[in-house]
Amino acid sequence: MALHEILNLVWINIKENKTKVLLTSLGIIVGAATIVIVIAIGLGGQKDVQDQFKNLNAGTITIADNSGSSSSFGRGGFPGGGMPGSSGRSGGGGGFPGGMMGGMMGGVQQIKKTTFTEEDLEELSWFIPNLAQITLLVNGSSDVEGGTLEDSLSSTIAGVTTDYADITNLELLQGQFFTDTDNEDMERVAVLGYDAAVSIFENVSDAYNSVININSKKYTVIGVLSETGSTVSDITLDSAIFVPYNSAVKYVLGSSNATPKIIAVADDVNQMETTISDIETLLAELYPKGSFTVSDAGSQVAASQQSANTMSILLIAVASVVFVVGGIGIMNVLFVSVKERTREIGILKALGSSRKDILLQFLLEANFISILGGIIGVAAGYLIMPVVRLSGMSVVASNTAAIIALFFAIFTGTVFGFYPAWQAACLKPIEALNHE
Amino acid sequence: MEPLLMLNHINKSYSLGNEKVQVLFDINLHVYPGEFIAILGPSGSGKSTLMNIIGCMDTADDGEFFLSGEAVHQADDAKMTRIRNQHIGFIFQRYQLIPKYDVLQNTIMPLLIRGVSHKEAVQTATEKLTLLGMGQRLHHKPSELSGGQQQRVSIARALVGNPAILLADEPTGALDSKTGQDVLQLFQELNDLGNTILMITHDPGVGKKAQKIVRIVDGHLYQNNEQLLS
Repeated sequence: MALHEILNLVWINIKENKTKVLLTSLGIIVGAATIVIVIAIGLGGQKDVQDQFKNLNAGTITIADNSGSSSSFGRGGFPGGGMPGSSGRSGGGGGFPGGMMGGMMGGVQQIKKTTFTEEDLEELSWFIPNLAQITLLVNGSSDVEGGTLEDSLSSTIAGVTTDYADITNLELLQGQFFTDTDNEDMERVAVLGYDAAVSIFENVSDAYNSVININSKKYTVIGVLSETGSTVSDITLDSAIFVPYNSAVKYVLGSSNATPKIIAVADDVNQMETTISDIETLLAELYPKGSFTVSDAGSQVAASQQSANTMSILLIAVASVVFVVGGIGIMNVLFVSVKERTREIGILKALGSSRKDILLQFLLEANFISILGGIIGVAAGYLIMPVVRLSGMSVVASNTAAIIALFFAIFTGTVFGFYPAWQAACLKPIEALNHE
Repeated sequence: MEPLLMLNHINKSYSLGNEKVQVLFDINLHVYPGEFIAILGPSGSGKSTLMNIIGCMDTADDGEFFLSGEAVHQADDAKMTRIRNQHIGFIFQRYQLIPKYDVLQNTIMPLLIRGVSHKEAVQTATEKLTLLGMGQRLHHKPSELSGGQQQRVSIARALVGNPAILLADEPTGALDSKTGQDVLQLFQELNDLGNTILMITHDPGVGKKAQKIVRIVDGHLYQNNEQLLS
């Protein structure tokens, strides 16, 4: 029998059973919609990760104090070792014993957090040649007043050195970033993240050259950052206020509470492992009692992407279950349909319909139901997406998702439609004809 | 003249649990082109089984069966399916029309199955339906027709493929006697036009309309009355 004639019979059947077809395809509709949304959420998650890290150089290394406790004397011992190190290569070795001495002394003293200093930066950049740029970062929260604010606003204050702007690829919308001199002189200048500028001044262009109060001290706004949407070392760039490191330590966060991090950028990204272990060795020499986390941006990005991927896989697993349930629904209805239409099948067989024709007829019917369900489901998925977006989740629509959903729909229809269709094809004509 | 249909020493039995029940015993039957034969027998005589074997919907245990020169007893399922489509026109007691297809769609099915183009199938079917007085009802569903009309559609469907033999199983069984007489009259006319007809019935009054009556009793076929009486 010609294929288009079989399709015509399928069409006659479907027209006769519109409601049943629609109800049967419901499982597939839900499955396809789920796939479309799930992939959109997965892609949204990946895009979030990319956005989050777009300001982060792949060679960025963050060094953070992990113990929250180390010796102030350990730190005190360090300059003794560090000074010769800065005077010449041969003296570099001399830096270690001094540090060790200090560390040992510190061990018997009371426990205190490690506070990295600019000397640490010098030490690191001297001994580890692969570090191109290095900065200190200290952050905390402080009350901010000024601009159009009626009440004080609690904001993230980040004390950084000049290299920070390069390391995190900051772009300035207005003004400039502070200089090394500003840091050395503990100038009270500030660079505002975009959102911070908006919340304080409403109009971003009003920010430049204005004065704000941070912790009741006046700071001149010398720059405003472009909007980035990214987060670097736990700091949301857009909502932060950047001040020179020394000013932050002195005026804002207080030297005792500050737990600075060191952020460095490696020149050669291929030597990250060696560089990290060099840093760890050096830190162990400098602060024998300290415990530090040295992490690189590449592995952070990889970890975040990994978790976004895990999420996608999980969601796709859920969608697959929905499809299986939908497929079983199709199978069920087709079984019932084969039962109901046993006589019709008997008649067709008596008239000489081959097994293949009958198999095809039922299989194409299952396919029709699943394709219909797939198309409606994909459309529904696109309609639901804005609703999902309202919940704050990032969703990224993609044609690939639609194609995958359709493919799965057809696949499900074929797989679950096959057995009932085969059953129909194998009916014995006499028995089928005499079926009540 | 070669017989159109030839059954030689056909036996058929069924298994009922452990018991084997023989339904047909050494059946021999020859049907020549243009004949109108009635197989007459009470229920339980094995006439339905014989009908199924002749209709290529069941197979005999042994014996030979030729239809239009094809050795049906050696045919596999696919070949039997093709023979049904090409050589046999079925007319059933309960018409066996597909309820959701209209009259025309029902009638063209044997041709579509054979692979004839839709246009040609519609043309042939329309001719046959018109011949049988159903030309005005092409797009009615079977449920919108009377029993007699449905049987006419079923006869049109049987004729449309130009089969070697029309196989009618109790064709008047579901009809009132007046309509039944009309259908038998129609069979007579079709036979006059050269169609070979094999009709199975339990009703001697219906059987009388055929040229020749063959009786089946308890699985044995009797070609003439003397044999039956003896």
